[in-house]
Amino acid sequence: MSDEGPVSDEREEAGGESLRLALRDLRREIRERFPEEESELDWMSLFDELRRRAGNLGIEEYSGEIDEFGMSPEAVLRVRPLLEFLRRRWWRTEVVGLEEVPEQGPVLFVANRSGLLPWDGLMLAHLLSEARPAEPRPRFLVADWLITLPFAQSSLARLGGVRACRENAERLLHGGSSVIAFPEGAKGAAKVFRERYRLKRFGRGGVVRLALAARVPIVPVAVIGAEEAHPILFKVETLARGLGLPFLPVTPTFPWLGPLGALPLPAKWSVHFGSPILAHPEEPGPLRDELLVSRMTEELRAQIQAMVDEDLHRREGVFA
Amino acid sequence: MSAPRTIAITGLGTFLGRRLVERLHGAWPNLHLVGVDLRRPWALDGKLSFHRVDLTEPTADGRLAEVFEKEGVEAVLHAAFRNQPTPDLEMDHELETIGSLHLLHACAAARVTRLVVASTTMTYGPWPDNPNFLSEDHPLRGHPGAHSVNNRVEVEGLVAEWRERHPETEVAVLRHAWIMGPTYTDPVVRYFERRVVPTLLGYDPLLQFVHEEDCLDVFETALLEGRSGVYNVVGSGVMPLSSLLRCAGKRPLPIPAPLLYRLGDYPAQAQSGDPPSGFYDYLRYLWVAAGERGWAAFGEPVYSTREAWMSFVSSRRMRRYR
Repeated sequence: MSDEGPVSDEREEAGGESLRLALRDLRREIRERFPEEESELDWMSLFDELRRRAGNLGIEEYSGEIDEFGMSPEAVLRVRPLLEFLRRRWWRTEVVGLEEVPEQGPVLFVANRSGLLPWDGLMLAHLLSEARPAEPRPRFLVADWLITLPFAQSSLARLGGVRACRENAERLLHGGSSVIAFPEGAKGAAKVFRERYRLKRFGRGGVVRLALAARVPIVPVAVIGAEEAHPILFKVETLARGLGLPFLPVTPTFPWLGPLGALPLPAKWSVHFGSPILAHPEEPGPLRDELLVSRMTEELRAQIQAMVDEDLHRREGVFA
Repeated sequence: MSAPRTIAITGLGTFLGRRLVERLHGAWPNLHLVGVDLRRPWALDGKLSFHRVDLTEPTADGRLAEVFEKEGVEAVLHAAFRNQPTPDLEMDHELETIGSLHLLHACAAARVTRLVVASTTMTYGPWPDNPNFLSEDHPLRGHPGAHSVNNRVEVEGLVAEWRERHPETEVAVLRHAWIMGPTYTDPVVRYFERRVVPTLLGYDPLLQFVHEEDCLDVFETALLEGRSGVYNVVGSGVMPLSSLLRCAGKRPLPIPAPLLYRLGDYPAQAQSGDPPSGFYDYLRYLWVAAGERGWAAFGEPVYSTREAWMSFVSSRRMRRYR
């Protein structure tokens, strides 16, 4: 028993040695026969190197910091040039009334919603973070069905989108971030072209109640041009149900051009900030007054509608 | 009430039960520990007085009350919950829900002054309309595909009812997030232990962990000092699944959701247990709990979500090279 060990070891060693030699010969032969295999091997080693880096050094190198609502500053920095291009070149956005926005503190921005994709939210967040660089980047609220779609969910969250609900908005405002809300909700996004710029009902008074409870000013915002960026000609509902969408839009470019149809049309945009409504920041009394809340909500809607109408009147042409 | 002299613990085979016995025995030699379980845990021999009680038996409540009265139990930790999936769903329900009912009856009969119940933040359920942070007051919706989670939801309902009938008892319900750490293991940890981790294509949810030591600290405080109410036991911060995997040098394997659900469910059907699709929904939608109330009551956790994850990853790395 005792002297069998070394014998088998030797045998194994001899076997291993011969295997190594055979492999070396095989490799040499392959290299001679297929000289281009060289580059292939290089690719493999490059891949191994990449994998090693991802596996070991990744811990120090990769920060991937996100905030508690899932916004990644890296991702925001990456899309900044695109948003800047869209703002200056593609939509030639005209901004009115930025001086009305309070310089400090959280603000609740209330805007008219248009278009399926939340371009208006992204653009408003971009404009406001440029205008108020010292403040935390404002976060835009996104309708439920968009935040649960695959891909849309994570990418919107990384770019600062937050699911629209009272708890989230309250937490953001208490944390000192401004919030961009679209109280028309899914009804606003689903407007067809012939209903453009007609504001729908403002939810159930949630925005006003939110601003009263958090004691932040409301700034009404009118966005012009986003309706023409994705004009919905009509809606297909049968096909959409299978895809988990509320409806499938048919626009001049979608679905005819496939994924290219997701690109917005170069309509001229204008963004109009109204004067802030300081919703009685001293007393929380109106909170309990349902009638007052609903009246204030309707007034807010009327004010934004008036701003939209005024800007539409001033506009020279859709693409001018 | 000050620190109790006698503490009873159910579920000695579970991580919480076993580790708390070890901790309490090591730190408080004068504390009398009473263990209740189906099997005698030999590893804990000499640290506690053990009583064999089958919680699924119809007379378990009387038997438990007898044990509690004889030993003079003042505080009870109820941790007899399975963390491994079992094919026998009926038995699972008997143990977790009916077993908890028996325990509650026994606590009332023996006039136990303090009760700590282990629950999990999974009871909120992964729902697309969850807010980003779920407070303790949010309704527990569970998940239709996860029976063990739904059992816990039921248990919480029973405890809440019982608490109203017995206001003299201090009841703490501690909902912990997914536990990460060097020694903790459960199906979730095993899922994350793989080198290649299947994920849902197009979904990258924010996840939240609590480190095992932080979790044990909270349970210990609740037992020794007493806290009344429902608390989330979570680490600070959140991390997206993709970042977690990248930090750990693991590779995600994105699979379209319907395919992954079907792939996972077919092998499971043979055992007629919980289908894993219940688990995958937890990697699809948000179910992050707000920790502020718990941190205010028990102190800030030592480990954030990221640090708990790194502690888990580095311990597994060492295991691989050992």
